Formats: sequence, C-alpha cells, structure tokens
Amino acid sequence: MELLILPLILGLVMLILPSGWCKLVGGLGSLASLGIASYHLMGFDPLTQVVMSSSIDKMAFGLTLNFGYDSLGLVMIMLTNAIIPLILLSNWNRELAGNKLFTALVFFMQLGLLGVFTAQDGIMFYIFWEFTLLPIFLILYWFGAKENNKVLFKFFIYTLVGSLAMLLSFIALGINAQSFAYQDLVNVQLSQKMACWVMSGFLLAFAIKIPLFPFHTWQPATYTSSPMAGTMLLSALMLKMALYGMMKWMLPLTSEGIEVMKWPVIILGAIGIVYGAVIAIKQNDIKTLFAFASISHLGLIAAGIMVFNTAAWSGAIIQIINHSLISIGLFLAADILEKRTGTRKLDELGGIAKIAPRFGFWFAAIVFAALSIPFSAGFIGEFILIKELFSFHVLIGILAVSSLILGAVYMLRSYQLSMFGPPKLTSFQDLTWNETAVFVVLSISILIIGLFSTYIIDYTAPAIRVLTAITPTN
Amino acid sequence: MAVDKLILILLALPLLGALVNGTIGKKLPNLLVGGIATGVMLLSFVCALLVFNQTNDTKIIQLFTLLSLDDFAINASLQVDALSIWMTLIVTGVGTLIHVFSIGYMSHDKGFYKFFTYLNLFIFAMLLLILGSNYFVLFFGWEGVGICSYLLIGFHYSDAEKGIANSIAARKAFIMNRIGDAGLLIGLFLILAQFHTLEFTEIAEKIAIDPSLINGSIIGITICLFIAATGKSAQIPLFTWLPDAMAGPTPVSALIHAATMVTAGIYLVVRSNFLFELAPLTKDIILWIGFATSMVAAFIAMRQNDIKKVLAYSTVSQLGLMFVALGMGAYTVAIFHVTTHAFFKALLFLGSGSVIHAMSDEQDIRLMGGLRKKLPITHLTFLIGTLAIAGFPLLSGFYSKDEILGHALEHSPILYGTLMISVALTAAYMFRLYFLVFHGEFRGGATLESHVHESKPIMTMPLVVLAILSVFGGLLNLPGIFLSKGTHWLSHFLNSHTAGLEKIKEAHAEPNTTMALMAVASTMTIIILIWAYNNYAKKKKIALADNELVGWQLWSNSKLYLDELYDLLFVKPIEWLSKTCYAIVEIKVLNQGVFGLANLLGKTGSLIRNWQTGLLSNYLFWMVFGLIGLISYYIIKLQFWNF
Repeated sequence: MELLILPLILGLVMLILPSGWCKLVGGLGSLASLGIASYHLMGFDPLTQVVMSSSIDKMAFGLTLNFGYDSLGLVMIMLTNAIIPLILLSNWNRELAGNKLFTALVFFMQLGLLGVFTAQDGIMFYIFWEFTLLPIFLILYWFGAKENNKVLFKFFIYTLVGSLAMLLSFIALGINAQSFAYQDLVNVQLSQKMACWVMSGFLLAFAIKIPLFPFHTWQPATYTSSPMAGTMLLSALMLKMALYGMMKWMLPLTSEGIEVMKWPVIILGAIGIVYGAVIAIKQNDIKTLFAFASISHLGLIAAGIMVFNTAAWSGAIIQIINHSLISIGLFLAADILEKRTGTRKLDELGGIAKIAPRFGFWFAAIVFAALSIPFSAGFIGEFILIKELFSFHVLIGILAVSSLILGAVYMLRSYQLSMFGPPKLTSFQDLTWNETAVFVVLSISILIIGLFSTYIIDYTAPAIRVLTAITPTN
Repeated sequence: MAVDKLILILLALPLLGALVNGTIGKKLPNLLVGGIATGVMLLSFVCALLVFNQTNDTKIIQLFTLLSLDDFAINASLQVDALSIWMTLIVTGVGTLIHVFSIGYMSHDKGFYKFFTYLNLFIFAMLLLILGSNYFVLFFGWEGVGICSYLLIGFHYSDAEKGIANSIAARKAFIMNRIGDAGLLIGLFLILAQFHTLEFTEIAEKIAIDPSLINGSIIGITICLFIAATGKSAQIPLFTWLPDAMAGPTPVSALIHAATMVTAGIYLVVRSNFLFELAPLTKDIILWIGFATSMVAAFIAMRQNDIKKVLAYSTVSQLGLMFVALGMGAYTVAIFHVTTHAFFKALLFLGSGSVIHAMSDEQDIRLMGGLRKKLPITHLTFLIGTLAIAGFPLLSGFYSKDEILGHALEHSPILYGTLMISVALTAAYMFRLYFLVFHGEFRGGATLESHVHESKPIMTMPLVVLAILSVFGGLLNLPGIFLSKGTHWLSHFLNSHTAGLEKIKEAHAEPNTTMALMAVASTMTIIILIWAYNNYAKKKKIALADNELVGWQLWSNSKLYLDELYDLLFVKPIEWLSKTCYAIVEIKVLNQGVFGLANLLGKTGSLIRNWQTGLLSNYLFWMVFGLIGLISYYIIKLQFWNF
C-alpha cells in the first residue's frame, strides 16, 4: 500500500512546497519510491501467486477495493518507479524541473500507473486507467506546444473512446460474475461469441493506447507537440499499461475468444511493424521518426502477446522493459537536438558528433540498443518474440524479421543525418551531467538486462504460467 | 594451462584492451594506447598458439545460461576444435601485425584511442563468432563484427570532403549486412524448429542418429545460412557494400574487409558442413553464386583506378573462389585459401596503405608511378603479394588456388575452364596495378613527388612478416608431388579434429594431374606477367581517364552499373513506398478520416452543448456521454440479452 501512498503524498507535497525545493525533494522522493519498489521486488517470492496488500470486500455494487501484485505486476511497478526518477533526472536542467505543478503531475501520473499495476478489481483498474489520463492531459495542455489543442483533442477523444469500450467489457463480465474482483472475473465462463465481443472492447482501449495500426494516428502528433517529459511518460510508461492490460486482464478474462481474435490482432501487429518502419524511413522530423519507430516496436510486442504462450510473453516482458529504456534515451536525444539547435528537421542538422563527442557517443549507444544489437536487452527480447511469431506463422515471422533491416535503415539514417558529416553549427553544448547520467544508467541497464535476461524471465515465469494456463474452452 | 582457461583469457584480452582504451585512452599517450591494444593481441595470439598445441579433440566450454525458456535453452558456451582454433590463429596473428602497422599509420589521427578501441572490440566479436559452440553465440559475434565494421568504415565521419560519403558507405555496409543477418536469424528459427537446439555438436549428433530429420527443411536452413554468408562475405547479390567499405582507414580494410570478417561466411558454411552435406541443391547454388561473383568482381577490377577499389574487388573475387570450393564440398581447401588469402591480401592492403601514406592520402593510381625507387620495402613486399595472389609458382596463392582448380577439374572441365578465366583476370588486374603504381614515371606532379617517402619501420615490419608468410604459406598444405610424407597437413589437421569434417573424404588429385594443372597455371601467370610488363612498364601505357573509356572498359569502370541498378530496384521503390504511405494512408485516410469522424462528433457535441447552461470541459462532456452510453448498454442487455 505504501507503494501507492508515497506518490500521492509526494504529489500533494509538491503543490504546497516552495518552488525552489520541489526539484530536490521530488528527486529524492522518486528515489525513495524506487527504493520501496526494490524492497518489494527483493522480498517477493515469485512462486506465490498474488500478494494482497489490502482488501475490502464487497463494497456497493460488487466493487472490491483490492490491491496486490504478482511477479508480473511487480516488475511493472519496478519499471515505473525506475523510469520516473530517470524522467525527472532528464528534466533536471530544463525549465520545467523547478515547476511544482509539473512535478506534482508527474507524481500523480506515477500514482495512476501504480494503481493500474496493482489493481485486483476490474473497476479499480478502470478508474486508475482513466485517472492516468488527467495528469498527462494537463502536462500536455499546460506545458506543451501552444498550437496543439487540436492534437490534444484527438488524443483525448481517441483514448476516451477506447476506455469507454473497456468499461463496457468490464461491466459485461461483472454482471455475470456478480463481482468485479479479479479472480471472479477470470472464473466467468463465456461463450466464444460473447468472449470475442468482450475482448473487442478491451482491445479497442488497448489498441489505441499501444497504439496498434490503424489506431495510432494520435501518437506522432501528440509526441511532437508535448514537452519532453510528457513524451517520455507516454511512450515509456503509459503505453506499457496497455500491454500489461492485455496480459493481466484481457487475455485471461476472455481466453475463450483467443482462437478467433488471435489472427486479426497479430496481423494488425505485423502490419504495424512494417508500416511504422517504412514510414519512419523518410521522415524528416526526428521526433515523428521515433514515434513511428515506436509503433513498429510495439506492434511486435503486441503481436507477440497475442501468440499467447509463456515463451512469447517472456520475450514481451523483456521487450517492454527494453522499449521503455530506449524510448527515454531516444526522446532525450531528440529533445537535446531540438533545444540546442532550434530544429527537429534532419536536413537542417548534421555534424554534431564532432563538436559534441560525448553526446555523439551516448546517442549512438542508444541507437544501437534500439537496433537490438547483441549484448543489449532488445536482442534477447526480439529474438524470442520473432521466434514465437515465426512458429505461429512463417509469413508473420518474415514480416517481423524485415523490421530488423528497416530498423537499421531508419535508425542509422536519423543518426547519420543529425550527427555525421562536417559540422553545420559552430557550437553545440555537450551533455550536461544529468543528461550523461541518464544515458549511462540507460545503457548499463540495457546491457545488464541483455546479459542476464534469464533472471527476469525466471522471475516472471510463475505469474506468466498462471496467466497463460487459462486454457481456452470451446 | 588448461585449454578452457586459455580460451577464456584469449577471448577476454581484446575486450579488456577495448575497455581500457575506451575509458582512459583519451588521456594516455598514443604509443601507450597502441601498445596496450597490440599487447593484448599478441598475448591473445600466444594463448591461441598454446591452445593449438593441445588441440586434439572437440572441446566444449560451458560458461553460463543465456536464455532458458520452456521449449529451448541457449547457453553461452565455446567450442575448441581444429577449425575454430585455426581461425583464431589467423585472426589473432594477422590481427596483431595489422595492429602494429596501425600504430604508425594512424599516428597523426585525433581519434587514435578510439580507433584502437574499435579494433580490439572487433577482434573480440570476431573471436566470439569463431569460438561460439552454437549458432546463437555465433550470431552474437556475427552482428558484433558488423557493428564494429560500421564504426570503422565511417571512422572519418566528420571529414570536410568525404565525411558524408564515409558515413553513407558505413550505413550501406551495415544495412546490406543486416539483410544477411535477417537470413541467419530465419535460419536459426528453422534450425530450432527442426532440431530444438542450436549447438553445433548436438545438431550433428541428432542428424547422425535420426535420419527422419533429414528432409526438405534442411534445404531451407542451408539456403538461409548461405544468404547470411552472402551478406558478410560479399557475394552476389549482396557484394556491393565491400568496395564502398574502402572508405574506412586502410588497416581496417586489411583486417576486416580482407583477412577476417569477410571470411566469416566461409567459416559459417564450413562449420555447418553437416547440414550442407545433406543439401546438394544448396551446394550447387553456392558453387554457381561463388563462380559468378568471382567472374563479375574480377571483371570490374580490370578497370578500377583507385588502388583500394582494385584490391576490394579482388577480395570479392577471391571470396567467390572460396565459395566455389565450398560448393564442391572441398571445405578444407576453402579454409586453406582463406589462410593464404589472409596473408597476401592483408599484405597488399597494408602495402597500399603504405603507398597512400606516402602519397599524402592520394589513392588514384593514375597519379602514381615509379614508386619502386622511393618505397623500396613497400615495393618489394607488394610485389611478393601481387605474385602470391596471381598464383606465381611456389608462392602461397599458387598452392591454394591450384587445389581449388584441381577440384574444379574433377567436378567438371567446363567449370575448370571458366574458372581459369577468373584466375587469369586476377593476374591481369593485379599486374596492371603493380606496374602502374611502381613502374614508369611519377605522374602526380612535382609537389606531391617531393613528399613521397618510405614508411617508418613500424609500418614496414609487418609488411615483411606478411611477405614471408605469403611466400611460405603454401607449405601448410603441400600437395603430394613434393614430399612423400606430411603432405596436406592443414587438410588433415582440420579433417581429423572438426565435427562433421572427418566424414568427408576430400579427394586430392593424382600427382600427374596436379603436375599438369600446376604447369598450366604457372605458364598462364607468367605469360600475363610478361604481357603486363610490356604494356605498362615498357610501353608505359597509362590508365585512361574515365570519359575516354568505351565498350567493356566502360562497363568495368562503371562497376556494371550495379549500384545504379540496385538504387532503381530497391532503394527508390522503398523510399517511394515510405513517402506514399505517409502521404496517402497516414495523412489522407487515417488522419483526415479520423478528423472527419471527430468533426461529426464535434457537431453533435455542440448540438448537445446548446442544452447546457454552463461551460463544460470536453473531458466532463465525454464522461457524461460515456455514462449515458453505459446506462443504455445496461438496459439493452438486461432487456434483450440473456446470459
């Protein structure tokens, strides 16, 4: 429970604290929450199913106020609490860092995310899912580009439509179970047809948030018009809620429909892999380029999750963590370029590696991690995911493999155009200490996960086995 | 010391060197940086020699579990056998010499420490590729060497004139390699599906025990592996990156793009011999692709005027020859040619580096000439390298090529006859290069001429060592006509201690045939040598300017327009697809479609909003809308659905 209370307190404290203090207190607070998460992670025996930290049964309308986690949820909690300090650290030397409102919103965001990852009740999950929308909306609205109201509107409508569909699905299940508690919802037996409908509801919500082709159009525009921290929150954490939702909620609850729904979703995922990559090849705006790259990467994870077996899910978890780390690095790099040159256009950049060698090195490290080179976490994650897609169907596997080549094309192009060649600028401030620290932490984490992914896989395996063992009945 | 410790040490040393130079190298003096990098290489080579001394059986060294899932597990483990230790010797041995050369060659470069960091890192990846005991570890190294190659080709990325071209060449190399990598990855998945393991020895055992595993999918697996090989080893259709890769510093061309990395494809096929032996169709494909590559590259090399480009196409052509050997099942012969080629091609590249160094970074042979007096050591060693690659009698290339030709004759006389053309072309363009650079008059102008000087001993010393190896390298695998005992030492060594190879009896030609073949080949080489001498040294013919070329010379000089063709066939369509997808699907269909929908909803919204008195935010509005939707859903369901 302290997992949830700490960000709430921190958020509230930020609001009343004098502005000068919130940078330091916020930073320390986020580290404290990371410490608590690590403590939980260490103390947890992955073989126990779900640890309930509090439980109030049967409130009105069959609601239960249940929080708890299994090893999968705990890994997501750990990811959240590790990413939040990194986001604050990336922001350290930027204007927003001293802004109390902004810092408070980041903590409220963390609260929402942790709620999503610990909820053991359908309605609680939904409430926290919706709750995360408020802080991100306000961050984008108050601190984003001024001309972006239309973009925001689109983002908002999109996610709301999805959430609505998800709520309907929860209600449909809840009526049957006479309860919204997780286990009761899992136990509901649905006909295949009904399961498909319910799954579609969830899917709409998740597909929009992931985003899955063709529900992705809110994303590139939102990424480019939001402040760096907003983009990071979105791509590193909010999107992961949807992937987690698929694994923890959607598929176990509606496993009766998996056989029918597998194909269309995997095909959409595979299209997304190629589509995002192909579009990224000729993008001139580096943030848009990374947004489409993200669509490509997440299409792979989503398709892998829909394969619905333990191996694919192990790969998915590695890749979820990996993508969070990489997107922090990529968007930090994009922001550094934009802030210090005044442009995001690749054809106006060039030659920066020579005048800012430290930035050149660490940006390259992240670009290579995004290419899933050996010794990086992505190498393991992609290997498992593509292998499982390959076993699912050869053609899907080949589409997924093609992202390897296309990924090299757009990633190296973006790096080459911005960093290589003779310098176009006379001066470019190299990385500050906090930016260097972020890149170092990211690179080391990616390396460690790449080498010791077995530990994460073994840690989450018991939870995954439970979630995927809910065999389809028909 | 025990083999497994030695192997770990020899693997860890280059990594250690890279770490030290990468972290503190910037602050150290150049000589120390170079000393560390070269020192670890030398130690590594010594370890390899010690292991080589004890190699008598296949030995697997388990390190740790990389990945363990329900249906398969992958270990980080190494395999020591004749093949891997022989390749290790080449990589660390030739690598050490090239490191020494680089200390001199790169001495003026600002990125000195970075260069040696990358070089050591490359060696580490290459050793991982060679020593891995399964396809996964091999793939680690396989991708790793590609990345180091990328970093080193684009090493001078910020150069005012060539910076952009260098980085584009690096990107091209990486992407073409990635196409091969994708093939390898698919091959890995197919192997996993078929054998449920990626360990070389386990796959070989499974095939031996269970013949039902031998089916059509072996063809698929081997073709995928061969696609990977065409990427790394620059064969048709993925060979056009290698000539461009010459944008890298010359020692890089010698180490990565001649002696070691590009032979990884050959290593892969030899390592997987137990699979390829079951796929005669794939072997035929390899044979003909290798043959075609060897011809095409030799043809293009005839009229190149950049000293490094000539050598690059020559490398492609020689790699083609090695694949011809593989296609005929002559695995040890291919490795023999890998070995001698590593000696003389590293020599030629380093020699060209010495020339370029002397010429103040000029690479056009039309501006050289008469350099033999000014660069005596470079000249002599380059001459040895040229003779070795051209197949001059009793030098190393003579023996290894002769083995391939002997097998070709046995395979089919037509193949032999056409291969002879490729061999003849090799001799022709190499002698042309040699005479244009070292004989005749200096054509580069007086100012350039006054700067020409012989390189420092630190650069000429490796040339001398490599020249000695190029002369005597053939002794490793002497054919039976010279001695009664101890012949074909390398073939025997590889055959007896490498998984799979012991079953393959590679026939060696009869002494009489060998004699005849050698006589034919020697005569041809000598005739071409005389012709080239007459043409370029005596008559002082010089290479034509690009715009004076006609007919076949134009085609050769323009590289058969393959770059343009690929651009038209692949690059342009993908760029078009990218732009069209963005403009039509993304903007027109998805975005404007959604906005159309949103507008529709917006209009409905403002219609409803008229009912409201206060100002409600969009968010609240939609919440209300949601609730209405929900309630209606409830009602409908309770009323009509029965579940």
